[in-house]
Amino acid sequence: MISLIGFSALCLSAFFSITLLIPNSIFKFKIKFFLLFFRLSTFLICISFVSLIVAYVSSDFSNFNVFQNSHSNKPLIYKISGTWGNHEGSILLWLCMISIYGFAYSLISNALDDFKINVLKIQSSLFVIFAFFIIFTSNPFLVNSVKVDEGLGLNPILQDPALAIHPPMLYMGYVGFSLVFSLGMASLFKKSRDTNWIIETKKWAIISWTFLTAGIALGSYWAYYELGWGGWWFWDPVENISLMPWIVGLALVHSLIMIRGEQTIERWIVFLSILCFSLSILGTFLVRSGILTSVHSFASDASRGLFILLIFFLITGFGFLIFLIKSPANKNNLQLLLINKTSALIINNILMIIAMLTILLGTIYPIFIEVLTNTRVSVGGPYFNATVLPILLPGFLLMSIAPVLSWQSNKIKKFRTYVIFFLILSFVVFLHSYFTVFNTWGFIGLILGSWIILASIISIILRFQFLISFNYIKSINSFIAHIGVGIMIIGITFSSVYQKEYNFNISVGQEINLNENILKLENIKIMEEKNYQTLKASFSLKQKNDLIDYILPAKNYYPVSKMITTEAGIYHDWLKDIYITLGAEDNNIWNIKVYINPLVSFIWIGVIIMIFSGLIAIFKR
Amino acid sequence: MKFQYYFKYIIFLLLFSNVALSNDKLDLKVKKLTLELRCMTCQNQSVYDSDSDFAKDIKNLVNDKFKEGLNEKEIKLFLTERYGEYILFKPYFNIKNVLLWLFPFILLLFSMVFFIKNLKKN
Repeated sequence: MISLIGFSALCLSAFFSITLLIPNSIFKFKIKFFLLFFRLSTFLICISFVSLIVAYVSSDFSNFNVFQNSHSNKPLIYKISGTWGNHEGSILLWLCMISIYGFAYSLISNALDDFKINVLKIQSSLFVIFAFFIIFTSNPFLVNSVKVDEGLGLNPILQDPALAIHPPMLYMGYVGFSLVFSLGMASLFKKSRDTNWIIETKKWAIISWTFLTAGIALGSYWAYYELGWGGWWFWDPVENISLMPWIVGLALVHSLIMIRGEQTIERWIVFLSILCFSLSILGTFLVRSGILTSVHSFASDASRGLFILLIFFLITGFGFLIFLIKSPANKNNLQLLLINKTSALIINNILMIIAMLTILLGTIYPIFIEVLTNTRVSVGGPYFNATVLPILLPGFLLMSIAPVLSWQSNKIKKFRTYVIFFLILSFVVFLHSYFTVFNTWGFIGLILGSWIILASIISIILRFQFLISFNYIKSINSFIAHIGVGIMIIGITFSSVYQKEYNFNISVGQEINLNENILKLENIKIMEEKNYQTLKASFSLKQKNDLIDYILPAKNYYPVSKMITTEAGIYHDWLKDIYITLGAEDNNIWNIKVYINPLVSFIWIGVIIMIFSGLIAIFKR
Repeated sequence: MKFQYYFKYIIFLLLFSNVALSNDKLDLKVKKLTLELRCMTCQNQSVYDSDSDFAKDIKNLVNDKFKEGLNEKEIKLFLTERYGEYILFKPYFNIKNVLLWLFPFILLLFSMVFFIKNLKKN
């Protein structure tokens, strides 16, 4: 019953969206009715999605999708998150968000009616395309042909709080770029020369980018403690794919700043808007089709790949075609000087695009080689570290001073202060690497990260106002964001370059010395949880004789899917993480891996600062 | 107390952040190489990070080969003959992969030239 409601709502909503696409020459909607229809469509698709959630929560196994991905004894939160833990449901979520973004736009935007209608029309056509995709190839409302009492269960590694909200966050980011795409496309059709759309694009691009950042961070935090590999970023194809729209989105947000210097480079902005959404769809295609080997292949299905590829070519091709035909006149009034803000922003854009293309190449290269020569090759972390990082380095260096550069001239205010501080900092970092063994990446990362932070702080101090107001925070927002990046760079550098790891064979009651700490395996217990069995080891972490904390690594066994997952036990601290994973057991002797990851917390702090700064930027002055 | 601990830790970090580097040389060589090898039975995990049987075998094999006196290149060659290039996370830098390796830097070069040209125009 509930499936029927969901499916009818989906079809009706697609129908309403189709009616919106009727060309003006045949029938012209009044704006009032146009918006009414659009919102009705949003309302219906939300009903459709909610009814799928209800089917999951009530464990309605007459729905084939629920049967395949749920189980009645799962905790409630994973019943809900199971809705988007599979292909069909997640695409429905995607569709729902396309509509919600359009809805939000229709409420917030103060654009002219014609422009607004154009944006919403493009948004509706995207909606219709994906709605057809769902109805014809990935219907989540199919009826189960056999009567069953129990479902097959959700993949255990998805049963995790961070991963429950990771997909919606990520999709809010990906799909947000659909609205940016629509805005960019609509701007090509507009007749007037007003630039209000750039301000709107900026707002929505920042919103999407912020969500995408949060989504990616959640995903990598999940990978950090759930995969138990000791790291948080693996240059996995799916990670790369989410990084590509993220980078282009960042480039877009930065190039949108250029309107402040009254130099619009509309063409470039439209190009990036199209590219951003294209990459989002390409990402979905590569993940869903299962073409790439990745830790995410749990959600893939080869048969639908073709359809998504078609959608990708349709939207991208159409987008770029119109871009070529109708692209706005290029007013070449860029004021490029050796070091002014415009050239800094352009260098930033160029570097980001090259980094993105490199990641794209590395990610799809194995596919090409396999198709062309029928041999399999891998392109993994070492390749990306050797190519993407050197390309981004000058960008990071530039980033430290870019916000204080002037639009019009070559001069930097208080240039000398910056130079002095830079020299002092270099000296300190140099001393540090002199007294420890020199590590190139460690040195570069540390000096870059701390310089970005220092330069931003100097700039904030130089502009300091005693009256702290929202406007003031907004005016130093770019420095805040860059401090976040700096902190993250330091975290990344230390946690990867100075990571230490140990292998121990240990039995219950034994103690290990770990630098200044003592780690003792207190006990190992087997416990029954709601839908899994857990084998939990309890380590006490002591410093001299004071107990600091317990670390609890575990292995969970999920009887429904007959899978074992590892849960790393982590002791968090501002300066380091002590990270333990349980290995194999032999005669009551356990093999454990202990990682000491210095400054991991800096990565998450940096991300949180970046998200915070994104939120600040959304609100109007 | 807490502050003292942090302070000590910072000093420790500053002075001994190289501990990982001064371990046994052979282990380091094995680590460096196995980090660049794909565990063929896992999902996108390196041989070094994996605990699977395959990864253990390869780790032992690499260790033995180093002891036999082979260098990194020879071991890689041996492994690719056995398992194909799929095992290498970092593809060879050769004619076949020239596009993969040079593309980013050529692009960088071109855009630099382009940028400087535009700069001169102003």
